[in-house]
Amino acid sequence: MRTHRVATIVATLSLGTLAACGPPSAPDSGGGDADAGTDLTVPEEKSGTITMLTKFAAPEYAPYFESVVEAYEAENPDVDIDLQQVGDQPYKDKIRVLSASNELPDIYFSWAGDFANKFVRADLAADLSSEIGPDTEWGSTFTPAALEAFTLDGATYGVPINLDAKYLAYNTTAFEEAGIDTPPATFEELLDACTKLDDAGYTPISMGNQYGWPAIHYLTQLNAYNVPAETLATDYDPASGEFTDPGYVAALEQFDELAQTCFNDGANGLSHEVAQANLMSGQAAMQYIEIVEFPNLMGEDVDPSFTENWSFFRLPQAEGASGSADMLTGAPDGFMVNANSENAGLALDFLKFMTNEQNATKLTTDIGWLSSVEGATERADETFPQLEEGLADIGEAESFAIWLDTVVDADVAAAYLAGVQGLLDGSASPQDVISDVQDAAAKAQEQVQ
Amino acid sequence: MRTVARRWAGWWWLLPGLVLLGTFVYYPIIQNFQLSTYSWNAFTSTPTFVGMDNYREAWADPVFWRAVGNNTLFAIVSLIFQVAFALALAAILEEAVHQRLRGVLRTLYFIPAVISITVAGILFSFIYNPEFGLLNELLNAVGLDEWQRAWLGDRSTAMGSIIAMSQWQNFGYTSVLFIVAIQRIPREFYEAAKIDGAGPVRTFFTVTVPLVREMTTLLIILTFSGAFLVFNEVMVMTAGGPANSTHVLGTWLYFNAFMADDMGYASAIATVIFAITFVLAMIQLAYARRRRVEL
Repeated sequence: MRTHRVATIVATLSLGTLAACGPPSAPDSGGGDADAGTDLTVPEEKSGTITMLTKFAAPEYAPYFESVVEAYEAENPDVDIDLQQVGDQPYKDKIRVLSASNELPDIYFSWAGDFANKFVRADLAADLSSEIGPDTEWGSTFTPAALEAFTLDGATYGVPINLDAKYLAYNTTAFEEAGIDTPPATFEELLDACTKLDDAGYTPISMGNQYGWPAIHYLTQLNAYNVPAETLATDYDPASGEFTDPGYVAALEQFDELAQTCFNDGANGLSHEVAQANLMSGQAAMQYIEIVEFPNLMGEDVDPSFTENWSFFRLPQAEGASGSADMLTGAPDGFMVNANSENAGLALDFLKFMTNEQNATKLTTDIGWLSSVEGATERADETFPQLEEGLADIGEAESFAIWLDTVVDADVAAAYLAGVQGLLDGSASPQDVISDVQDAAAKAQEQVQ
Repeated sequence: MRTVARRWAGWWWLLPGLVLLGTFVYYPIIQNFQLSTYSWNAFTSTPTFVGMDNYREAWADPVFWRAVGNNTLFAIVSLIFQVAFALALAAILEEAVHQRLRGVLRTLYFIPAVISITVAGILFSFIYNPEFGLLNELLNAVGLDEWQRAWLGDRSTAMGSIIAMSQWQNFGYTSVLFIVAIQRIPREFYEAAKIDGAGPVRTFFTVTVPLVREMTTLLIILTFSGAFLVFNEVMVMTAGGPANSTHVLGTWLYFNAFMADDMGYASAIATVIFAITFVLAMIQLAYARRRRVEL
């Protein structure tokens, strides 16, 4: 009898809860009506608390953001900025949990591309065009390509803080020993150089692809080189992506050739950092790295025989490829303002402060990054020749090819990430990879509609 | 009147527990099932009802099945090492090893269990490293250089390498639990077996094994359901790569929820994990109740 009754109670209880829970609650649009636009006027009396979340918890980056926050608070004693910084990987889930539970901070970090666009489509990012659009006073202080990376349908949604681009860094001594006089100008010359370097006893290109993204960065550039820009834009948009252009297969085939001729074995088992150590120790001749990593190569513990003998060039395009030759892989990192923030004006005021001439220059001095603000990097004291040359080269790029894994829909990115690892260990062919990508793109289209 | 009141009095005492259990255990399970019938993510304003679509997606998803396969492999290997071998090791330590050495060995076997999984994972990432890893160096030293490989970067060895790390970490722990169980067996049984002329192997199978059955059942349940809930080991060492070959249900769930923005599908995977562990626990509990041995 007893056990019977327990069962009844448990059953009733579960029925009750079953009836009580409706469909998953949507992130409610909060106070601000997104259609009416977020109020961006800076209050006359600056006071209140703004919350800010970044992905720059790493010890080399965090102090910069802390010190800018402190400086702003010192200038505006009634404003309190609650700064939270987490790591790169944890950021990706933290920001999703916060946006699902409608607790997005006033200012939050975002990568450019579909990662940012998702917030825009969900009405979670304030339209900042009236303040930072290309024709505005503030907007004109930025490198145009950096602002463009945070633009969707003609409206600007993000404040870019830095510039990043991908280059093949190389050891000039190794190139000399292998008899290579000038950096390869075409993809074919690059493969040729790899053979020569291999013969000279070097790992031609150091590759650590444990987490998949280093290969994705190659493909970002190779896709841009092999697929016409308009097709690329159509396919990278989740609503219209199909990935049927033959250029995508060509890009994967070129990557496969690099893997065969240039990369070390077991790339999937090595981290990017270990691969970088091989470049700096002189074992490997090249590595495809971001310009924000350039300061690593100038680190105090790196052998001077390397720090004094390295240079860089763009991954070269294959002859006769049908894509754009002037697109450069890279994208600015930036911050967005919560569309439902009650302190949006104040938040924007802080972002203006962070990107003013002095703080933009401080970004280069403190962290060694290129600033998205024009002229800021040249004013910094702590630069080195390669960083300045990089800046000049970025200036020549027509536009940025934004990281493939943040520019496309997450499902498509996942198909690419898994696919390139399969290419590297020989278990998948370029055709296999692209058909997985096409399936994922079809699924993404369904979800967006 | 009084008897009715008394009959209900007991239930008042149960109520707080039931409410807590309902709110924090049963309600989330039901809600999770409900969420799995929607297509939604952190950015959708209106979740759409899709019925059983997420389960159909799982049925057709090769990575889902690979994850199920990896969990099953994890479970089988863990059963062999953490139950069968651990019991054998416990018996050897108790019966065959000299008293003084016993303590030292026990500690040595137990040490990996107190290392955090993250630390152990990173430690093994170094051991498996293709460039400077101990394992490859060792193979080289004994002349097996053709066996050298990127252990975690090679689809054929990555899952096995993760499972091996997990065995290293938990083997000693379950052995110590078995030692405790063996020490509870009255010595008379062993003496009687000796008088009857049983050797150590015979004694192990006729005395030790039946009399530690309760511990064996418990450890089977724990290692089995543990193998289906595994997450950290994979996340630290490969994060599911290369090419999705080392995903287990837990990491595939995480990946879909937080990387691929498909919370509905992730909820469906969570329901599957719950169903598997629940059924396994039920079968084993029922079985254990029937075969309990009273000392």
